Amino acid sequence: MSRPRLNRGSFVKLAGAGSAAAVFGIPAYIPQIGEAADAIKIGLLEPYTGVYAGPAENETRGFEMAADAWNKRGGIMGRKIELVKEDEQNDVGVAAQKARKLVNQDKVAALVGTVSSGVSLSVAGVANTLGTLFMDSGGHSDDVTGKNCHWNVFRTCHSTWMETHATGYALAKRFGKRWFLITPDYAYGHSLETGFKDVLAHNGGSIVGNELTPLGTTDFSSYLTKIDAAKPDLVLVLVQGDDYTNCLKQMNQFGLLKKYPVGGPQVELEPLYGLSPEARQGYWGIEWYYKSEKTLGKGNAVAHKFVADTIKRYGKPPTARNAFGYITLDRLAQAMNDAKSLDPVKVARAIENVHFTSIFAGSGYYRKEDHQLMWPMWVAKIRPDGTPGDKLDLFDVTDVNAAEAVEQTIAEKEKVCKLGYP
Amino acid sequence: MIEHIGPQLFNGLVLGAFYAIVALGLSLIMNLTGTINMAHGSFMTLAGYLAFTMVSRGTSFWFALIAAPLIAVIVGVIVERTLVRPLYKREPFYSLLMTFGLSLMAEEIYRLIWGPNGVPFSPPHALDGAASLGFMVFPTFRIFIVVVLIVAIVALALFLTRTRFGLRLRAAVQDSEMIAALGTNTQVLYAVNFGLGIFLAGIAGVLAAGMLGLSPTSGNNLLMPAFVTVIIGGMGSLFGSIVGGLLIGIAISLTTLFIPAASEVSMYILMAVVLMVRPRGLFGEEGIFG
Repeated sequence: MSRPRLNRGSFVKLAGAGSAAAVFGIPAYIPQIGEAADAIKIGLLEPYTGVYAGPAENETRGFEMAADAWNKRGGIMGRKIELVKEDEQNDVGVAAQKARKLVNQDKVAALVGTVSSGVSLSVAGVANTLGTLFMDSGGHSDDVTGKNCHWNVFRTCHSTWMETHATGYALAKRFGKRWFLITPDYAYGHSLETGFKDVLAHNGGSIVGNELTPLGTTDFSSYLTKIDAAKPDLVLVLVQGDDYTNCLKQMNQFGLLKKYPVGGPQVELEPLYGLSPEARQGYWGIEWYYKSEKTLGKGNAVAHKFVADTIKRYGKPPTARNAFGYITLDRLAQAMNDAKSLDPVKVARAIENVHFTSIFAGSGYYRKEDHQLMWPMWVAKIRPDGTPGDKLDLFDVTDVNAAEAVEQTIAEKEKVCKLGYP
Repeated sequence: MIEHIGPQLFNGLVLGAFYAIVALGLSLIMNLTGTINMAHGSFMTLAGYLAFTMVSRGTSFWFALIAAPLIAVIVGVIVERTLVRPLYKREPFYSLLMTFGLSLMAEEIYRLIWGPNGVPFSPPHALDGAASLGFMVFPTFRIFIVVVLIVAIVALALFLTRTRFGLRLRAAVQDSEMIAALGTNTQVLYAVNFGLGIFLAGIAGVLAAGMLGLSPTSGNNLLMPAFVTVIIGGMGSLFGSIVGGLLIGIAISLTTLFIPAASEVSMYILMAVVLMVRPRGLFGEEGIFG
């Protein structure tokens, strides 16, 4: 039997191209075609494939819940909401291209979604040139509502400034001020680093180690072996998603979780569920939680109904990602309804500074000056084994921070952010 | 800084041993049939998830460590017979595209079955702690991994050099037409060889699931270093795959010490240097793929 021979040159090319495609993903999502001609289309961009597929799925569920709730009530100005989903593959280039496609081809009235900060910034830029509204549900980098802010861009999840300032002072008080940082090497990580440095500049602490780890790092051992020499008071883990799971799992195996307190600006339920109880440790910033009066608000019927309906519909409790999706679309729909228009400028004006209650404790508003949603940020201690009645009830909420106390002031924001309304 | 070099070197060797075993499986399949198995990572993930499912239903870790890779082998052999074999006679990129497509499908299938989020899979308690090695504290599980890898490599070497079947396999790598003409059923050889490669991937997959996280993408994330390992070690050389793996592990570890942000890039730089100085790779046999 003869077979074509493979030479080294073509092997390098083939394997290189193939594995690059495997790592960076390939189109794998078929958009839904609208049924109703008169529906208002909203373009939903999420990384359905790749490392953030978990958060993407949960944000989508939040968007679906909000869309269904509005459609059940008769829709926006009598028109149903239709979500047009696209997989942005956690890739800034793909995201930009898909955003253009949604606006130019599908004629969506607004764009929503994203998980990774880099992608959020990319979509925000494209949306700005196209003059379309974009509500960033889940990308946290300060720049989205900071130096890269735009009149047409709003953000629901907390900024990294809010996360670092809500957790930084609380953690320094508990454990000390010599910190070792494990930082993801992209926009989000750098933004967090800046926030923590600001906290330390105010309380006189220091960074004794800062490891910049590439996104998608699987083996953290080389970074972890440096912690012992630095002897920090606290190890701050800034990486997210699968990287978070990998990092904490390996910290546990290296025996570091027994030696050093651990915490971070933010932890999400998705990666925590991927850890065994021994590796679930520390104090973390949390952005919403389905099982605490402190995050839902006492007797908040809307929030409790959202939790119950999500469990009923998807068989799983909602995470902060579900909440981001729900709040984002609910407020966008409300603004369109209030403005009685789909004109981006009119809708944007109708979102700004409108105080509202929703599925979280207290009230919130998208701040007029930077378009950041101002809502509380919580800190929680992890219960490794949950509570006796619920093994997955992992957060013991310890602190509540008002948004104004942890976000930059309007004066500070006005120095960097120019919304530039047309 | 100097005092960190010892621990980092050791850590790099362990990491490298891990890349080596993945690369060995790839090399085996490639050497015999010229198939660049892009689905190799998917088989790792499959074995990881199977082990996770077994252990969470009460099976022991030790049973799962063998049984999960064996089930992956069965799937692998079916894939080889039905999808890969018809492409042996075509250009290599046909089977590359086929296995690449398979890996994408597999990722989505795992997502459907086990969900998009990672799942917790821990080594048994006996292996869960950390041991002091004198110069550093090191996870027991990683030491265990090294032991398993050494056993696997020795067993593979014995199989290839001391059994008739291994002899035929090596002969077929040299000249498959001649072996077929001499009356050996090469189809069986191909199937067993493919299964052997997948078995190594499966073992690596279960070990990776215990050491790293386990999610639908976790196997594919380890595929790139494995390909780089094969290229550095030299195509056609199993010994090269082992050396290549160790070199990459050390390169990544030491780079982390000095320029942490460049750790991922270091293996590509190493690959570029090796290709410039010795284009066939360190132990590549020019002509085998020729």
